[in-house]
Amino acid sequence: MIKIAETKNDAEQSPSSIAIRVENVSKQFTIPHEKTNSLKGAFVNIFRKNTYEKFYALKDVSFEVKKGEFFGILGRNGSGKSTLLKILAGVYTANKGSVKIDGLVSPFLELGIGFNPELSGRDNIYLNATVLGLREKEIDAKFDSIVAFSELERFIDQKIKNYSSGMQVRLAFSVAIHANREILLMDEVLAVGDSNFQSKCLREFARYKEMGKTVILVTHDIATVQRYCDRAMLLRNGEVVKIGSAEEVGNEYIYQNMSDEERRIVEEQNQARFKAEKASESLKGNALAEEKKRIEEEKARQDEERKNKVAEITGVEFLDKDGKAKNVFETGELIKIIITNKFYKNVENPIFGIIMKGLNGAPVFVANTQFKEIKTGNIEKGITQVLYKIENRLATGTYLISPAIADATAKTFYDWKDGFKRLDIINKEYNSGGAVDLEHEISVDVK
Amino acid sequence: MTKSHENYRELVMRIAKTDFKLRYHGSVLGYVWVILKPLLMFTILDFVFSSIFNFRNSGTPYYPLELLTGLLLFQFFSEATMTGLTSLVTKAQLVTKIYVPRWTIVLGSTMNALFIFGMNLIVLALFFLYYQKIPMFEGIAMFIIYSLLLYILAVAFSFLTAPLYVRFRDLSTIWEVCLSVIMYASPIIYPITIMPLRVRTILMLDPFAFIVNYSKQGLINGQYADGLHFVALFLGIILAVVVAFLVFRKYEKTVAELI
Repeated sequence: MIKIAETKNDAEQSPSSIAIRVENVSKQFTIPHEKTNSLKGAFVNIFRKNTYEKFYALKDVSFEVKKGEFFGILGRNGSGKSTLLKILAGVYTANKGSVKIDGLVSPFLELGIGFNPELSGRDNIYLNATVLGLREKEIDAKFDSIVAFSELERFIDQKIKNYSSGMQVRLAFSVAIHANREILLMDEVLAVGDSNFQSKCLREFARYKEMGKTVILVTHDIATVQRYCDRAMLLRNGEVVKIGSAEEVGNEYIYQNMSDEERRIVEEQNQARFKAEKASESLKGNALAEEKKRIEEEKARQDEERKNKVAEITGVEFLDKDGKAKNVFETGELIKIIITNKFYKNVENPIFGIIMKGLNGAPVFVANTQFKEIKTGNIEKGITQVLYKIENRLATGTYLISPAIADATAKTFYDWKDGFKRLDIINKEYNSGGAVDLEHEISVDVK
Repeated sequence: MTKSHENYRELVMRIAKTDFKLRYHGSVLGYVWVILKPLLMFTILDFVFSSIFNFRNSGTPYYPLELLTGLLLFQFFSEATMTGLTSLVTKAQLVTKIYVPRWTIVLGSTMNALFIFGMNLIVLALFFLYYQKIPMFEGIAMFIIYSLLLYILAVAFSFLTAPLYVRFRDLSTIWEVCLSVIMYASPIIYPITIMPLRVRTILMLDPFAFIVNYSKQGLINGQYADGLHFVALFLGIILAVVVAFLVFRKYEKTVAELI
């Protein structure tokens, strides 16, 4: 089956099978530090050194979309995906590179362009459809169908300022799908309307696919891309990160977002520390003395607490096989978890353990020294570290690690830090949606 | 590059029709204002200038007709240029959220003034009937030609300034001032004959004053412009169109980013 499809694709590889060809497109915005919006401003600026920033919204972007393909463009806010769509639509002109489009493009980026609240639904249909490129005759012919799809028969002669926002969206979408272009550009239109109407829209998308139309969908929703798109492209800071199957690109996007998340956490921590240091520096004289006193008191209080405390978990760290600390791991990667414990008393044979939970709170994995029948012996006052080596088969997702220390009978817990640290896992091959991706084989008997 | 529209004529007309519909929405008298507004202006000016300056008894027996003709032409020109100048900004949604050929926006916006002017011509015709003044055929023909030339001039102005207005919003205020200068520098409320000959020659360098003057003269007195002068006007307008087209083509590309 697959073989046949591939050869067919090869046969169609003639130039006319390409709907959109974008080559080395760059888009640069010049952002003046003080926006000149008046003649006086422009005049004054002649005598001043003009300061402005050059900002590349797109850098050397190239890709091709075949006719009949459902192509997704993924990226975070500011990745340049909307700029790219605007270039495809003709709203912006690229500074460099070329865009070749074979076929009529639906030029809208948002629904209901040109809608005027003071006009009736009927007038707005004509206005919007004309703006989308329909001729008067075509609109006349499609008018009833447009109204029927929007389910607004009763309100069509009312001014649309009296419509609810949901009704406006329905009308807008209805006009849009009747615009009937060969190539459609869409910017997250699915985010609107009630669920009933949404499913109707989704069916309409499926129909587009059947009709062999080319659709470019810009979104940051991976699920939509993976469900509807044949291929996708991931943009980051105006550059193409990956072009490939929707599945692959979606997974890459998750992975990228996670490393961002990681960076963000680290940055937050650094910033908090920096702030705290700054704050203590800025305290002077009395304030400083007071602060010192407060810290002393706090320490005393903690010491008091510790007198009754036997042990405390002070840290959790994740290391990869080379001993490098990180918070995001791939499925199948070895994770070393180091739990740092502080003992205030000597303890005989305590039990160390961890529980790994999914974000829904369900335990995914539990391990402790009791199960493994490890005699931990006499732990002396001070720091003790426990190392867990885990061949992880976790599925893509976020997990919370809860470490615990208990006495030899497992009846008294010296410490239990619920959800102490977050671990992110990404499976680069596929996103199963399960809790674990166990090593497995599948065979299909052919008779 | 990107092709998205083949319905240019419909686009222009739809933009114009929408503007026309919206022009007086929410007002009690609605479209009656199209005719009422110039009539009220006319009544005031006619009262003031007929009684103060008494042009009617000083060589211009058809002063009210001259006044109304000039006034309608002026309102036509000022309306067309003002809406054309601001068109891309007032219809920013059509520029930034979608691609429609930008020229259709500018042209469609100016057409509203053309509709209104057309409707006002009916009133003008009634006035001519009332004053029992039937213009010569040549006069009417020249009036139509001058009206069209005036419209082309207004469109050229709009194409020249609309993309610039996106950058410099002062242009609308400046143009408003210019319009009142143009009004008083043209023989609208006064007959050209009250000006000394030398001043007249200078005034006639202004294409608007030229058009107003000879439109009126043609309709009322059967006097026409010198052929050479007419050719000069015609060529001047063609030149304006070419310049406007070049400027528009150059600056149109970046308007979406600057609005």
